[in-house]
Amino acid sequence: MKKRMRSAIAIAGAGALALAISACGGNDNGSGGGASGGGGWILGTTDTVTALDPAGSYDLGSSTLEYNLYQTLLTVPANSTDIVGDAAQKCEYGDPKTLTCTLKPGLKFSNGDALTSSDVKYSFERAIKIQDPNGAAIYLLGSITKTDDKSGVVTLDDNAIETPDDTTVIFHLNKPDTTFQYVLTYPGAAAIVDEDVFPADTKLADEKVIGSGPYKLAQYKAKDQAVLQKNTDYTGDNTGGASQVFIKYYSDNTALKLAAQNGEVDVAWRSLSPTDISALKSDSKLTVATGKGSEIRYWTWRVDKGIGQNVAVRQAAAQLIDREKIASAAYDDTVSPLYSVVPPGYAGQKDSFKEAYGTPDVAKAKQILDKAGVKTPVALTLGWTPTHYGPASEDEMNEVKRQLEASGLFKVTPKSTEWEQYQTLYKQGAYDLWMLGWFPDYPDADDYLSPFLVNGGFFQNGYKNPEVNKLVAEEQGNSDQGQREKIEGQLQDIAARDVPLIPSWVGQNTAVYGKGMSGVESTLDPSFIFRLWLVSKK
Amino acid sequence: MAGTGSGSLPRYIAQRVLLVIPMIWVILTLVFVVLRVAPGDPISAAVGGKLDADALAQRREALGLNRPMIAQYWDYLSSVAHLDFGTTFSDNQPVLRVIRDNGGATLSLTLAAFAIALVVGIPLGLLAGRYRDSVADVVIRLFGILSYAAPIFFVGFLLQVYVAQPLGLPTGGASSPMTAFLVTPHTHILLIDVFLSGNGTAITDVLKHLLLPSLTLGLLICGVFIRLVRVNILQTMQADYVEAAEARGISRGKVTRRHALRNALVPVVTVIGLQFAMLLGGAVLTESTFNWPGLGQKLVDYINERDYGAVQGIVTIFAIAVVLVSVLVDVVNALIDPRVRY
Amino acid sequence: MRRILSALAKPFSETSGLARWMLVIGIVLTAVFVFLAIFAPWVAPYGFAQASAHGTDFPKLGHPDGTHWFGTDRLFFDVYSRAIWGARTAIEVVLLSILVCIVVGVPLGLISGYYGGWLDRILVLVMDALFAFPSFLLAIVFSFLLTNIVGGSVIAVSLSLSAIYIPQYYRVVRNTTVSAKEATYVEAARAMGASDGVIMRRYLFGNVVQSVPVIGTLNAADAILTLAGLGFLGLGIQSTQAAEWGHDLNRALADAGSGVWWTGLYPGLAIVLLVTALTLVGEGLNETLNPTLRRRRLLPVLLPARAETEEVR
Repeated sequence: MKKRMRSAIAIAGAGALALAISACGGNDNGSGGGASGGGGWILGTTDTVTALDPAGSYDLGSSTLEYNLYQTLLTVPANSTDIVGDAAQKCEYGDPKTLTCTLKPGLKFSNGDALTSSDVKYSFERAIKIQDPNGAAIYLLGSITKTDDKSGVVTLDDNAIETPDDTTVIFHLNKPDTTFQYVLTYPGAAAIVDEDVFPADTKLADEKVIGSGPYKLAQYKAKDQAVLQKNTDYTGDNTGGASQVFIKYYSDNTALKLAAQNGEVDVAWRSLSPTDISALKSDSKLTVATGKGSEIRYWTWRVDKGIGQNVAVRQAAAQLIDREKIASAAYDDTVSPLYSVVPPGYAGQKDSFKEAYGTPDVAKAKQILDKAGVKTPVALTLGWTPTHYGPASEDEMNEVKRQLEASGLFKVTPKSTEWEQYQTLYKQGAYDLWMLGWFPDYPDADDYLSPFLVNGGFFQNGYKNPEVNKLVAEEQGNSDQGQREKIEGQLQDIAARDVPLIPSWVGQNTAVYGKGMSGVESTLDPSFIFRLWLVSKK
Repeated sequence: MAGTGSGSLPRYIAQRVLLVIPMIWVILTLVFVVLRVAPGDPISAAVGGKLDADALAQRREALGLNRPMIAQYWDYLSSVAHLDFGTTFSDNQPVLRVIRDNGGATLSLTLAAFAIALVVGIPLGLLAGRYRDSVADVVIRLFGILSYAAPIFFVGFLLQVYVAQPLGLPTGGASSPMTAFLVTPHTHILLIDVFLSGNGTAITDVLKHLLLPSLTLGLLICGVFIRLVRVNILQTMQADYVEAAEARGISRGKVTRRHALRNALVPVVTVIGLQFAMLLGGAVLTESTFNWPGLGQKLVDYINERDYGAVQGIVTIFAIAVVLVSVLVDVVNALIDPRVRY
Repeated sequence: MRRILSALAKPFSETSGLARWMLVIGIVLTAVFVFLAIFAPWVAPYGFAQASAHGTDFPKLGHPDGTHWFGTDRLFFDVYSRAIWGARTAIEVVLLSILVCIVVGVPLGLISGYYGGWLDRILVLVMDALFAFPSFLLAIVFSFLLTNIVGGSVIAVSLSLSAIYIPQYYRVVRNTTVSAKEATYVEAARAMGASDGVIMRRYLFGNVVQSVPVIGTLNAADAILTLAGLGFLGLGIQSTQAAEWGHDLNRALADAGSGVWWTGLYPGLAIVLLVTALTLVGEGLNETLNPTLRRRRLLPVLLPARAETEEVR
């Protein structure tokens, strides 16, 4: 026994020694084992993937991969809000209820199968049939589906998708909808899958997915890493980029930051905190690149209950909010103040809140309240959630609270709940004013208007304005761009007047990359599509 | 040992093993109840930020979340009995695969930490017990307490910033992405698979990644071991036979080594085995800090997403593991120490 | 009265050397923290969620200086004050959870051990199952569960800590009861007609409860680490509800990269010091109360002076 114990300890000691030696020696591919040679590079991110089958995903983590693995009929090129064809040559509205798309000839999936209009039709049919709770299809495809009032089951309208030949797809919409072409750019709703590989009524396992995009999936380990390789059968225009891309998933932004500093990832994208970015800016080995963003943060009022019912209260708060201070104090200026429900960069955007309220002014706010006969200080419950929107949301909440109370007009009680419970609570009216964030599904101003302003919005804050409803329907059905922008401007002005919500900031699309990387800036645009084919490593 | 025990040993083992089932059932029920009673559900967690209440309610209905609790409970128990844990809701992975792929990582982390703790902790504990109240004893005991008192995430972070970056060691992960891509998963335990592959660069890579996390967790456990071993050595040294040996003129050191050590270590082994549950708890924080793709980190992620299926599956595996280890330890203890029988 | 005092002083009087010193240091340190916890509003220069004083805002991430001895953090709060208020949160949470543990675990253990039978077997099973469960995970789940039911995170976290630790108290008390109840004096008491309640209260309780202080202090140390762990993961207590060291440490780690060391060092030190102190107390107590470890102080033996008579021959 004694001898065995001794030899056991000896072996353990030897093992420890071996570890120590390997730690000191060995300096293979850069510190911490960076990317391999031959152009392969590593993207680090904290986003999570819900599913790689488009029928089961509606989040950025999944769509980042899907944009590179699949084709959609239409797409949005970098730094533009125009729509161009991806799998389709073009799509045209015959009338506002009919959209005809012509596929490019000779399209192929990465397994060699031909891509025809029946694959397109199949993709939509199965997404709707599966109706996955995590999926986008039944939410974004309202124009070609109907929902049963009682059971909530969604079905594809009869003859909504017509395929007269292998290269033509005709969509018959059930209402005039010019935003449908934008929906066609989002893979969660409209990625084209191989009908011979994907089952018709269940999701396909993530590691088996096949697409026709510029990259194909070589390996996938959930929440760990994904390996993408160039699709040699790709027939589209998005050529370029490295032959191999590793995507490494981090559960914590601090870990991602350390990895970026240590050279363990070549590009770090989403979501580094403002402190992380400030720290990385001073690192000479790294470059911090920013592009315009589209993620917004806003504070929603409960309009049908409590003190939020009085529009004067809402306007007074809007008069007091100092967005510049929020951006600098809470976010170290890594975000930009937002003066409208729609962020800059979208056709039809105007800074309605700036026009309506100008700079923060306590006296004006007091006037608004006095005119309406509201007694001050107004007691206000401020709702927020600590983890879902990142650590800086606590800072922002503190800043808003400070600004409202410093005026002497408000008395704020903050209340925080974990994300899961938060959503139920705010819809039930637990807070007067609460924090929310939004990510657009498609690059159109409508995606910031209809989900917020129509019949209480998805967050059900009780704001109902028939004039707004009418205008929204008008802009959705109107194919004249100039006319649409005018209506969208009106809607933003109404929002600034009625203040169902107070926009706070719009984020930037930020990425940090190391030596040898090029092309990263070119893909940082409001669409948040990370176009792997634009990025390469020397 | 076979001939010495009375008939009670086989009966004891049988009793112990049979108890496993009810214990696991209790744990499963506990998990089910806690998850269902906790506020929130997988739907809100996933898409609550985009959809209105009606759409959310419809999707909950589709997922069967509105069925009576008893029905859901029964389904849950029967599917566990079939070892069918289903697919995770939040990321579309078969739960068994999650357990398989990530369990190996947690296993290698905990075993490596265990090994470090043993190699460092036991000798130090021995020293401290042998030279009670000396300077060495003080220093070692303080070290043991401090390594336990310093929060893991604090120590881990300090190591990442002040050791990993300057030395060129990786700050997180179990391997570089290339290694993970190239190594064929025979056993799904990366540490073993990489040795099987024979690829020198890959092996170094994996070992480099393992060093700091296992050191962090190992230090924590080591502190516990030091104190345990020391206390047991002290207790053993009070025994009569030790006094008798000393009276016969055998030196302290020889007495410790030849007589006391073996007997002192027996209870230590069993107590160490029981620290397994604590080891798993420490593993969760270590995995979080070092982005280690283990089951502990996954569990926290899935809990945050209210992914019932995933959480139930992982917790069941943890529970079974802990229960099995404790049964094993009890049986070994019974084999060695005839005083312990039912 | 004298008996109680001398019983309390036993740990001091009956040990020597290192064991006594460790106990003393541990107790002194713990007392310091308890003092800070009780007198926080008077000792701390500012409130734990105070971001300005006399009309001027505090700086963000300000260096330690004359007005802010430990500097300020990202939320403009004073680190020194938050460290002190953090002591209050830690002591509150830990005291509450241990109280609940003792109030629930000890009687359960006594009753279960004394009566035996089905109740005992079921309880042992449930407690073992709870004990086998990785406690930290249980704490995470419970704190989710309780935060919304009970409202107020301090109570929720305390209760979730209790839930994890009750099995330990239960086990120890039960096992000791099971062996103690066969003792002769208990049999004698029963023969004299004492009821079950009297037996448990008067005879068993005192003997059985001896290991509770040791478990209590070691639990307290572990509870603080668990509390910090929860705070680190972002669960549990938020900045504006109370000062909590683990939470502050979590926010501070991000700062460390920018050369801001003071936001993380002090909460981290506080955790280490308090846990060390409690562990020293626990270990010290163990060394004195545990008869197999006890090392009695050797009192010099004085022999009476020999009468100056014989033996001069």
